Amino acid sequence: MTATTSAPVTTPAAASLPRSRAQRSSRRGVAGQVTLYVLLAVLALVYIYPFLVQVATSFKSEQEAAADPISLIPQTLTVAAYERLFLHSDFPLWFANSAIVTVCVTLGRVFFVSLAGYALARLRFRGRAVVFALVVAVMAVPAVVLLIPKFLVLKQIGIYDSYAGMILPLLVDAAGVFIMKNFFESIPTSVEEQARIDGAGTFRVFWSIVLPMARPALVTIVILSFQGSWNELSHFIVATQSPGLTTLTKGVASLATGQLSQGTQYPLKLAAAAIMTIPVAVLFFIFQKRIMNTSEGAVKG
Amino acid sequence: MRRHTAVTALGAVGLVGATVIALTGCGSGFDEGDNTGTGGTGSPAALTSSDDALTVMIGSSGDAETKAVQDAVAAWSKSSGTKASVVAATDLNQQLSQGFAAGSPPDLFYLSTDQLAGYASNGSLQAYGDQLKNKDDFYPSLVKNFTYDGTFYCAPKDFSTLQLVINEGLWQKAGLSDSDIPTTWDQLAEVAKKLTSGKTKGLVFSGEYARLGVFMAQAGGRLVSEDGTKAEADSDANVQALSYVQQHMKDGTFAYASDVGAGWGGEAFGKQLGAMTIEGNWLTGAMGDYPDVKYKVVELPAGPAGKGTLQFTNCWGMAADSPNQQAALDLVQYLTTSDQQLAFSKAFGPMPSVQSAADTWKNDNPDLVPFLTGADYAQGVPTNKGAADVISDFNSQLESLKTGDPKKILASVQQNLEAIVK
Amino acid sequence: MTTTVAPAPPRGRSRTGSIHRGEGTAGWLFVLPIVVILGIFLFIPVLMALWVSFSDWTGRGSPLAGNVRFVGLDNYAKITTAGGLQTRDFGIALRNNAWYVVLVVPLQTALSLLLAVLVSRRMLRARGFFRTAFYFPSVTSSVAITVLWMFLFSFAGPVNQLLSWVGLHGPNWFQDPRGILNLALGGGSGPAWLADGQFLGVSWWDWLAGPSIAMFALILMAVFTTSGTFMLLFIAALQNVGYELTEAGMMDGASGWQRFWRITLPQLRPTLFTVITLGLIGCWQVFDQIYTGTQGGPGKTTVTPAYLSYTAAFTQQEWGQGAAIAFILFLIIIVFTIFQRWVLRERTVSRRRMRAYLPRTTPKKGRP
Repeated sequence: MTATTSAPVTTPAAASLPRSRAQRSSRRGVAGQVTLYVLLAVLALVYIYPFLVQVATSFKSEQEAAADPISLIPQTLTVAAYERLFLHSDFPLWFANSAIVTVCVTLGRVFFVSLAGYALARLRFRGRAVVFALVVAVMAVPAVVLLIPKFLVLKQIGIYDSYAGMILPLLVDAAGVFIMKNFFESIPTSVEEQARIDGAGTFRVFWSIVLPMARPALVTIVILSFQGSWNELSHFIVATQSPGLTTLTKGVASLATGQLSQGTQYPLKLAAAAIMTIPVAVLFFIFQKRIMNTSEGAVKG
Repeated sequence: MRRHTAVTALGAVGLVGATVIALTGCGSGFDEGDNTGTGGTGSPAALTSSDDALTVMIGSSGDAETKAVQDAVAAWSKSSGTKASVVAATDLNQQLSQGFAAGSPPDLFYLSTDQLAGYASNGSLQAYGDQLKNKDDFYPSLVKNFTYDGTFYCAPKDFSTLQLVINEGLWQKAGLSDSDIPTTWDQLAEVAKKLTSGKTKGLVFSGEYARLGVFMAQAGGRLVSEDGTKAEADSDANVQALSYVQQHMKDGTFAYASDVGAGWGGEAFGKQLGAMTIEGNWLTGAMGDYPDVKYKVVELPAGPAGKGTLQFTNCWGMAADSPNQQAALDLVQYLTTSDQQLAFSKAFGPMPSVQSAADTWKNDNPDLVPFLTGADYAQGVPTNKGAADVISDFNSQLESLKTGDPKKILASVQQNLEAIVK
Repeated sequence: MTTTVAPAPPRGRSRTGSIHRGEGTAGWLFVLPIVVILGIFLFIPVLMALWVSFSDWTGRGSPLAGNVRFVGLDNYAKITTAGGLQTRDFGIALRNNAWYVVLVVPLQTALSLLLAVLVSRRMLRARGFFRTAFYFPSVTSSVAITVLWMFLFSFAGPVNQLLSWVGLHGPNWFQDPRGILNLALGGGSGPAWLADGQFLGVSWWDWLAGPSIAMFALILMAVFTTSGTFMLLFIAALQNVGYELTEAGMMDGASGWQRFWRITLPQLRPTLFTVITLGLIGCWQVFDQIYTGTQGGPGKTTVTPAYLSYTAAFTQQEWGQGAAIAFILFLIIIVFTIFQRWVLRERTVSRRRMRAYLPRTTPKKGRP
């Protein structure tokens, strides 16, 4: 009764508004809508324009980039920056390295994180609470504290300056464990119980039954770990030193700092940054809806 | 459940402890690593020798330099049979430090005077100076720069001084001739004023001690005494020099390269944002990017205490951890021969560090003779341990010189220097 | 018709026998990779770094070797109380980062909330487009955005050109070390009473310098990139805010602003808390942008403790100090998080306030 009383209250009230008031409020409503759209349009422009100008400048010559930085249409379209990037620098190597590391880390993370999440959510084993506390504690340690120590440990173990050193430390992500654990806790146990009764082992149950059900959460993990490892910088700084293992982030950062006589070279730098953004952007546009809705899960969970 | 948690916690601690001990075991393996080939910081022990390829890391001033070094190393590699590769560092100091700390540094690398003390004192370097065949051919002041704790560590690879470089085109456009080349501070200010028009400033240079130091030298001041035992940053001469620069920055005739939108003085000069600049030999290599600019190198004007300029030099540092030091020494010998140094000079500018090449160089580069003349009265930069950090702090304060107080800046530099000279 | 196929074993004993056997081992095996990797690459490094911060390790060989000595709080003292160059560097880094936090966290919270509110309006076409546009910068790498920003805010870049259209002469953004607050208060070296005293090697006038113009450009960049992520959190939270309360507010005659401030915002408290916490933690760790963009310049005004920790260790070979800086930073983050939690805690409503909401025993004038 209480829920429905509000409805009848509003309609007669609206209907009983004097005519001029309704007109005024509707005019105000229109004005409000217009302001809203204008505001949104301006903000959207502020957010989109930098990327447009980035792509436009990468196709300009250096002189034009310095002389006319704001225009979105180059007067003379030139691919000199891209040519220099792909043919005369190590950019393809950087891209390959980033791709290798990202793929390995994403696959690894998906596997390990879902294993751990399932164990923490479903399996009863001694010390479960301790492990969970460990994971939570890890989330609290800020990354900056780990910069120097990670270098020390990588050096001690002997995987410094190798692909192993780049990939292994990134294989674990506390937030991912959280997400999977929350997800697994939200699905009913009936199917698993059924499978167990039918005699399936724990891993079997996990692999063949629970994991396929976890597709939405897995997609989230894939997106997050792809983004995270593609965009990672500080870990690669401390984990590698040879030029052959440079990733995109480290390489583009070195382009940005430049050297003594390399001047400003904006088209080149912006081209590099643009290409670097493409894979994550593609992933983003494909999985837009899911990414936008992940936060709901995060808030509720 | 409680008991189980306690047991598991204990188990976790035990696991951690066991791993730490295991890591210590791994770690001690590295201890042996840093004992070979060093013999501590003093006497040069026997050099290591193996078949490993050599890595040479350089802090390049541009494509010209990188290519020149790569060609030279490739030529040596072919004739000696040892593979060698050249890496141009983006941040030489950081990459060297990381390499040393990781135990895998490059075999040979550019080492500047202000970094020598730091790396030598913690055993990262292999001293090989006394084993050089052309040891006596190097300029004595350069050898002194690379001697730490009585040991001559590394072979100077070249050296440069700073002089005044003027844009001939803009010079003539302003109605100036050769007789107007400034020889005093006042004349420099006058000429700079005449050359300042529109977007171009009269004198543009990088805003750091490595450039402003010339004015300090011309006023008779230095950062540390010649023997490196006393800090002299807050002398009146230095204050006078900085005030002179500040005055003309305020009236718009002098400017920092960053103020006009360039990365360094050479870029500002090349883009004609500055009609004059204070740069060293390496400018010739960089000016290849700006072929339209005709320029001329002249001696810097004399200040209240006479002529003065700064001298910069790097040496070929050799890592103590290098597995093939014998080959590295061989490469250094090759790279420091008179002919090779002259070839480098032609490619990117700096002057050979061997005295036997001086006359040939003067003949080959008549336009750059002022740089060599500068060597007669040039000051070196402080080489004390920790000086690099003090200078970088000095540089960061110099960025606000226009609105700052020279006395205060120099007082803080003095304080920092006093902490490291004792 | 029976309900179950087979009787499920009684709850209390289901763990030891039947379908849950082998779970103990399986459980441990499942979490083993995570535990091992977290242990090796997170726990142990922290312990090692703690040791290094208390030792005199110079960077050669292993820090656990025999010749590395324990020096107590020496490294910590050198950066906090010794008064030399290292203290000053640390003070400058703290000042820079403090101003960064003070400006970024409120700005990004407010902006993301504003964007969320705008995008959550009931009648809105192209909602998806706007959401995408605002969120896109958040997926890009900090390196890519920093490179882009260095171009946008370069001396002859788009921002300065835009400003020149409105008649303003934009500063040389990333090369300008002057503090904003200092400029507003008159510039120069400040009054003597502020310029003379000092804390951590930095004069009070410099502490109050505000972010430099270069740092300000970085602040704008931070707000630009993170507002999208937080906007999503707010959108989700706003969707959970029931419309009934807002409607009731409308009926009671509350204006739009009052409705927002008193009805919607308090319900967003948990999300607000999350956003501010995440913002704080993130802001105190600024590193990538500095490494890529300004390397601490101009005039050391963009040095942050995280970057200082890195340069002290990796460039100056002062590993002990670098580790000490990192741990002090850790402490700062914890303190800030606890403080912020305390400030935003749910406070019990005061009695006076309560009385306005309690049911009336005597009828008020004019109401039935």
